[in-house]
Amino acid sequence: MNKGIKLEGEIRKSILDFFEKTLSNNTFDAVLMPMMVPSEDSYAWILVKDKNLLKDAEPIVPIMPINAAKALKRYTRIGDGKFKIAALMKPCEIRATIELVKLNQIKLDDVTLFSYDCVGALPMQDFIAEPQKKGTLFDKLLKEQIYNSDETKPVCQICDKFSNCASDLHFAFENGNVVLISNSEKGDKTVTKMKFSPNIDLKNWQNNIDALATDKKKNRAETFELVKKMAEGFDNLSETFALCINCHNCSSVCPICYCRKCYFDSAVAKPNSDVKMMRAKQRGGIALPLDKIMFHTGRMAHMSLSCVSCGLCSDACPVNIPVAQIFSYVASQTQKTFDYVAGENAGDALPMKEYKLDEMGELGEMVKKAEVQESHNE
Amino acid sequence: MSKLLKIENNFQDTIKDFLKNLLENKKIDGVFSFRKNTSNYGLITDVKELENIAPLYPLMPANAGQLLGRFTPMKEVIAVVIHPCEFRAFIELAKREQGSLDNFLLITHTCGGVYPLKVNVKNEINEKQYWASVEKGEIPQNIRPTCEACEHIAPQNADILISTIGEKNDVTKLYLNTKKGIKFAKYYNDNLVKKSFEKENLKPLLEKKNIAKEKLFSAITDTGLDGLIDIFGKCVGCHGCNAVCPICYCTLCDFDSFNYDYNTPILEKELEQKGALRLPPDTLFFQLGRLSHMSFSCVGCGQCSDVCPANIPVASVFKKVGEKTAEMFSFIPGKDVKEPIPVMIFKEEEFPELGE
Repeated sequence: MNKGIKLEGEIRKSILDFFEKTLSNNTFDAVLMPMMVPSEDSYAWILVKDKNLLKDAEPIVPIMPINAAKALKRYTRIGDGKFKIAALMKPCEIRATIELVKLNQIKLDDVTLFSYDCVGALPMQDFIAEPQKKGTLFDKLLKEQIYNSDETKPVCQICDKFSNCASDLHFAFENGNVVLISNSEKGDKTVTKMKFSPNIDLKNWQNNIDALATDKKKNRAETFELVKKMAEGFDNLSETFALCINCHNCSSVCPICYCRKCYFDSAVAKPNSDVKMMRAKQRGGIALPLDKIMFHTGRMAHMSLSCVSCGLCSDACPVNIPVAQIFSYVASQTQKTFDYVAGENAGDALPMKEYKLDEMGELGEMVKKAEVQESHNE
Repeated sequence: MSKLLKIENNFQDTIKDFLKNLLENKKIDGVFSFRKNTSNYGLITDVKELENIAPLYPLMPANAGQLLGRFTPMKEVIAVVIHPCEFRAFIELAKREQGSLDNFLLITHTCGGVYPLKVNVKNEINEKQYWASVEKGEIPQNIRPTCEACEHIAPQNADILISTIGEKNDVTKLYLNTKKGIKFAKYYNDNLVKKSFEKENLKPLLEKKNIAKEKLFSAITDTGLDGLIDIFGKCVGCHGCNAVCPICYCTLCDFDSFNYDYNTPILEKELEQKGALRLPPDTLFFQLGRLSHMSFSCVGCGQCSDVCPANIPVASVFKKVGEKTAEMFSFIPGKDVKEPIPVMIFKEEEFPELGE
């Protein structure tokens, strides 16, 4: 196993000191990190070049107002830059970044990704309602490394991928110490440039994380049993999404939903009055806004293979539908079908982009069975 | 001169009976109304389905003006029961050729306001309390802040205006303000008398609303750059406010278009100049753009505030700014479909003070 590098000081300070040094010695030209907004009840992603401004940055924040992958996408999508960028984000944001790289929305040529052991994020609404109280609570979670707080978002509570991931470097927290781990060639380059010599044994930390992950996996399976009932079958979906007002906030904030114009917001998905009347007359009445379930199932089909369970969709839902839990469950099923884990490995091809001669043989069996059944019926 | 049809029954049942009658006798082909059982609007063509409508329910899952705009031109006759701000939004859309009022029988009511969506989610809508407040001519508690401050609660240009504020809920007064309104009312009951809606009766409530409005507006102290950065700094850029806004009808908002896809070198330049760069960029620019694009037509429905994941009081800001903009043109959004929107008319003499 790799060895780590111990950084001096408590979490916030040691991470900020580290990045300040990387800016000073030109390891990086700019660092992407959250910063508190003027109203002091939320955070925004700021790419900092001037190292004097870095003191206002907050490396680890209690909420995820915007998935960092989205911020990175806006910077790297078009054209080539000359700056070397470091980006610090939560593991699920790293996973979203990896997925967006595969979808050609992010270029990582000049970007080094940093992750950290994530205690989860608080629901946005909770934090905004009481920023100070929730801020203190989050500090406690972080300081005491509490990874299973029921104050965090429901998807965070069942997240078993909260630690080291497909980042280039990872900040591991062990007994109040910050240990930097390199995961890639890019990471090694940074380590060399910083003249670090990794010498910290990571066995205990890894064992601890593995044990936590096992607990969370169990939790996840139990929760999914409940979510299953909300997500499977048309009637259940109808009930779950009954209050949906079709604002499509869930899709707008989703890091994976990168389409500029969602199909479901396009003219094709907005039938004219003749079609609407025809549909109304067929059934005596139709609900408006139209096609709510079609939108959600459509989104499931379009993006669930890449869903990283960051939970932003739930944060953004104005009618408190547990969108994230439902999508996380569906994603677990679709990803299992293709033996794929979104964002886990940059080298894995997107299932839909890969052609395999032999795939889902069971579908062929199902078709055959149905055909036999049909011929019997005839 | 308007006419009045008085029915000895409560509001809800009167409207239901009226619509049932019209649909049964094929005077209309469908009904558009809120349905309580599903918490959304319905386009209903079957009389039996009308059992489920709750036309005056104090909730607005979407601004109906937006929904109606999306199904025009309508070839068949549809009776529509909507809140005044939804009616006004539909009028503004019609002016922009995003809807046509033809073939709609537009029914609205003096409006006590609607509850925020979150109140409904928590199952905290107290209908009894709401209607008691409406009857007393008071502002119901916990309704949308922009509803508390809304003074356009009794549109005089809808085909039918149902009077609810200050009225006992055992007699329903339908004011018929257009020929269309009179025609359809007569199919149901031709016991009409000449009478216009008396706006005077709303005066005490409007005074209370004025105070609420002053309070709402004074909470937004600074609409200068610093103040707006303070208010919109936590915007997450979901553009949900724009998606639910009945006036924002663009298929692709400029701010979601290629125009704002800056390439890395441009962003690098800004990063070099400022030392730091917010990503995604243009947070406030979007809000300012939307303010200038639509605020003079803002009907203050409050839908934008309700969907904001960051709890920004979007509607209050837009209503405050929108009223000021509209004032400069002596314009009231949604008042009259024949009144052109200010930016569409050319006046040779306008804003001479700007020249100075």
